[in-house]
Amino acid sequence: MNSAEKKDIPLASQPPYLCPAYVSSRKRAPSKPLILIQGLLASANGPVFGHETIQPGDSDLTRQHHGEPLGERIIVTGKVQDDDGHPVRGALIEIWQANAAGRYKHKNDNHAAPLDPNFSGCGRVLTDDNGQYSFVTIKPGAYPWKNHENAWRPAHIHFSLFGAGLLSRLVTQMYFPGDPLLPFDPMFTSIPDENARLRLISSFDWPTTKPEHALGYRFDIILRGSRSTPMDPNHL
Amino acid sequence: MKFIPTASQTVGPFFSIGLAPLSQQEPEAPESSKDKITIRGTLCDADRSPIPDALLEFWGAKEFARVPTSEDGTFVVSPVLPAAQYFDILIFMRGLMKPVYTRLFLGERDAALSDPILKLVPSERIATLFAATDGSPNHFVWNVVMQGENETVFFEF
Repeated sequence: MNSAEKKDIPLASQPPYLCPAYVSSRKRAPSKPLILIQGLLASANGPVFGHETIQPGDSDLTRQHHGEPLGERIIVTGKVQDDDGHPVRGALIEIWQANAAGRYKHKNDNHAAPLDPNFSGCGRVLTDDNGQYSFVTIKPGAYPWKNHENAWRPAHIHFSLFGAGLLSRLVTQMYFPGDPLLPFDPMFTSIPDENARLRLISSFDWPTTKPEHALGYRFDIILRGSRSTPMDPNHL
Repeated sequence: MKFIPTASQTVGPFFSIGLAPLSQQEPEAPESSKDKITIRGTLCDADRSPIPDALLEFWGAKEFARVPTSEDGTFVVSPVLPAAQYFDILIFMRGLMKPVYTRLFLGERDAALSDPILKLVPSERIATLFAATDGSPNHFVWNVVMQGENETVFFEF
């Protein structure tokens, strides 16, 4: 059995550290072999974030200021499950994103697109007893970056999730269906397996689309479980 | 395992918009609590350039602290010292499509050497996993090298 077969996550479903097309990875990716410690990590350690973490209104990014932000209002919902298919309850989800013009409210974002005084781009929510979450926000714009000539990021929302412990920690990005920039994006294409890549694209969702109000998008998330497979003693 | 976990993507350079609320902004005076320690250090890349846009998470059995690096690539964090005398650490940054994982030992080196994870580390690289003390009690220094000579040991699980 080689080391790739022993791992319980198929290698191709996660991006590697060194992604040469993503220029920033070249001098930051580890160059020495990682040390495999499968089964040696204490499981389910870590913080539990309760309802005190969340303020009312944290999940509606369109109502955090006096006026409403510009852009296409959307409702983003989904289910968070572990890799056995069980719902992950009480998982803290933090999101951040650019505004409709493709500009982040951040001092280091110097894209010549307007800031929106009615949009901060930050949201938080806990999953419910069925692992479900829901945000109201606006559809973020694409924006240029300096990775290569004429480089543009596809529209995306950053997601950070705390599940059952360290093994379940995930930071990812949700993309939008039909975005013409996706095939050219070194971050999206850093994931070798095409199916794993496509799972980062949300789907347009009629059931959550509200008449005269907002389009619905669905983005389901699978977190690695808190169990870790015992290490093969022959490997030690 | 029935389902394939969702793929990781980088936190990018603007994560503070979403992740600031649970992060330590200013180091607390460690004198404020006798259980608290201070860990400070610098993150650098293959060229030894400081990394100004990284986020470190310190995980203990119950303890948790999260802190971003500053413009000069340094961080200061004041967590409670776990009983186990080590932190599991995740580091996120622009340029990493997934976090690196390492373990920082804060106790006596001889006592830590029985740690099952440390036994897997080549002896010449073990020093990267230990914090130095800067002379004051409960004050530690730990620097992280992402790539190249004296590269910090990173694990996968």
